[in-house]
Amino acid sequence: MKKFFGNKWAIAIFTLPALLLFTVLVFYPIVQVFHKSFFDWNGLSSGTFIGLENYIRLFDDKVFWISNKNGFIFAAVITVFQMTMATVLALAVSNTKMKGRNFFRVVYFIPVVLSVTVVCQLWLSIYNADTGLLNKFFELIGSDFSQNWLTDRDKAIYAIAFVNAWQWMGYQFALILAGVKSIPTSYYEAAKIDGATAVQAHQKVTIPLLAETYKFCLVISITGGIKAFTEMFIMTGGGPGNSTYTLTYMMYSAAFRGGEFGYGLTAAAVLVLECLMAIIVVNRLIKTENAAEEA
Amino acid sequence: MATLVNKVKTRKRFSLSDNLFQLFLWGYAFISLYPLIWMLFYSFKNNDEIFVSNPFGFPTVLRVENYIKAWSQYNVPQYFLNSLIVAVATVIITIVAALMFAYATSRMRWKGKAFARTYVALGMFIPVQAVLIPVARVVQDLGLMGTHWALILPYAAFNLAFSSMVFYGFFLGIPVEMEEAACIDGANIFQTFFQIIVPTVKPAIATLIIFTFLNSWNEFILANVLVIDQKLKTLPLGILFFQGQFTTDWGAMGATMVIASLPTILVYILFSNQVEKAMTLGGAVKG
Repeated sequence: MKKFFGNKWAIAIFTLPALLLFTVLVFYPIVQVFHKSFFDWNGLSSGTFIGLENYIRLFDDKVFWISNKNGFIFAAVITVFQMTMATVLALAVSNTKMKGRNFFRVVYFIPVVLSVTVVCQLWLSIYNADTGLLNKFFELIGSDFSQNWLTDRDKAIYAIAFVNAWQWMGYQFALILAGVKSIPTSYYEAAKIDGATAVQAHQKVTIPLLAETYKFCLVISITGGIKAFTEMFIMTGGGPGNSTYTLTYMMYSAAFRGGEFGYGLTAAAVLVLECLMAIIVVNRLIKTENAAEEA
Repeated sequence: MATLVNKVKTRKRFSLSDNLFQLFLWGYAFISLYPLIWMLFYSFKNNDEIFVSNPFGFPTVLRVENYIKAWSQYNVPQYFLNSLIVAVATVIITIVAALMFAYATSRMRWKGKAFARTYVALGMFIPVQAVLIPVARVVQDLGLMGTHWALILPYAAFNLAFSSMVFYGFFLGIPVEMEEAACIDGANIFQTFFQIIVPTVKPAIATLIIFTFLNSWNEFILANVLVIDQKLKTLPLGILFFQGQFTTDWGAMGATMVIASLPTILVYILFSNQVEKAMTLGGAVKG
């Protein structure tokens, strides 16, 4: 048996494909991000080492702060929208007496399986100021709420954040629904005997028991905001001006449009660090609450 | 009397808020679904209907020619085929590599297996966005640009961490007697692995196939940088290219978007439970 499980050839054959793929296409690149962020590098030559200069320039760059602000807005919009909607809708659908619950389940989830380019194209035509569905709708009901959704400096970021929130709400909905299903029904029976209403039972039983699920939801929507890219790339091109830039967008345009690969990677390095920080903070926050409850 | 009035009052309030809640549930269902129905509608309309005469409702005439045009004139079959090749190859490589790696790190005995497992699991914390530039360099240096491998290998590499973690969890739960019996019967480790161990995790494999397929079918960020060749574009890129080239033909654009979405929507409708399970697995592993 020892020989069986310790077969060196087998171990090599089993692990090498994965190790090789991961090392070459994930690990080496992430090391390169940090390494090259200290270089003045145009993507072709090997570049010159310039120490912290890229970082100093980055922190001085107005676009960097716009990008961070937008990442924050994006994260806030999708976190609030997705978590509230997903919680309410998942609790409704988890009620086995609900009529047509399979229909609702499928309908709430379906945008998740679409390609992000399809979703962005779709919303591009919905938001279109002259011909778009949204403004047509306001016209129809005689309201003058029509807007230039994507060309307004202050509103564009909210408009595109909503597209992301709309597409991925169903993901958190499914996560929370799966969490609710894992809670034993006896808990609710006990709550009912104690005279709790459905809303109270969910407040006191469901939501605290889903702490792990919520932790995960928080992590994906906060890091999702920090990493946001595709929506601005397709719908606004970072504009108007640079009002919808994010860190990823900044990296992309510095490298692939400006040829400043070193500077782009500095933005990428900060992006990775911000995501890690978000994960650590969320884990700390929710852990402390758990510990406080136990004590 | 007073209590009776109170009772009636609360019941009334209850049913009112109940109705409001029902309205809310239907309202969100509408917001969630109507954009898709609208897309389906306009894929059968001409520009006049889309913009002027009938923007909201069912098409007056089903203009199937939009689909014929998209399929015959606008390269859609090529995009579709590319997406299919990339997604299928990614699924195969990811699943096979992850199965083998998870088996070696969960059941076999060797030094450094815990390290190897943690090393690959790191992949779950690395955002694809951040490594775009170096990945593009590596793909170029390996001479993969201009082939389907430019997408397949990076996709597999990025899906590996998650799949390995899931399989690892499943393999840990298998009793060691399985291998002992096989060993006594004279099977070697390869036979044991492929003929006895792999079939026991079939449900996990099915779930991860769906997960990886959806991921690579819809992937945009890497593809946007790694594919330059028109002939290699996948559907998400094709749609974008289409927008740039044929902005005037909205009906055919809608038809292309419907064609691009059909496979994933079909997969979801046929396997809705598995898809949700696949997507929510992330919560169990990463949380």
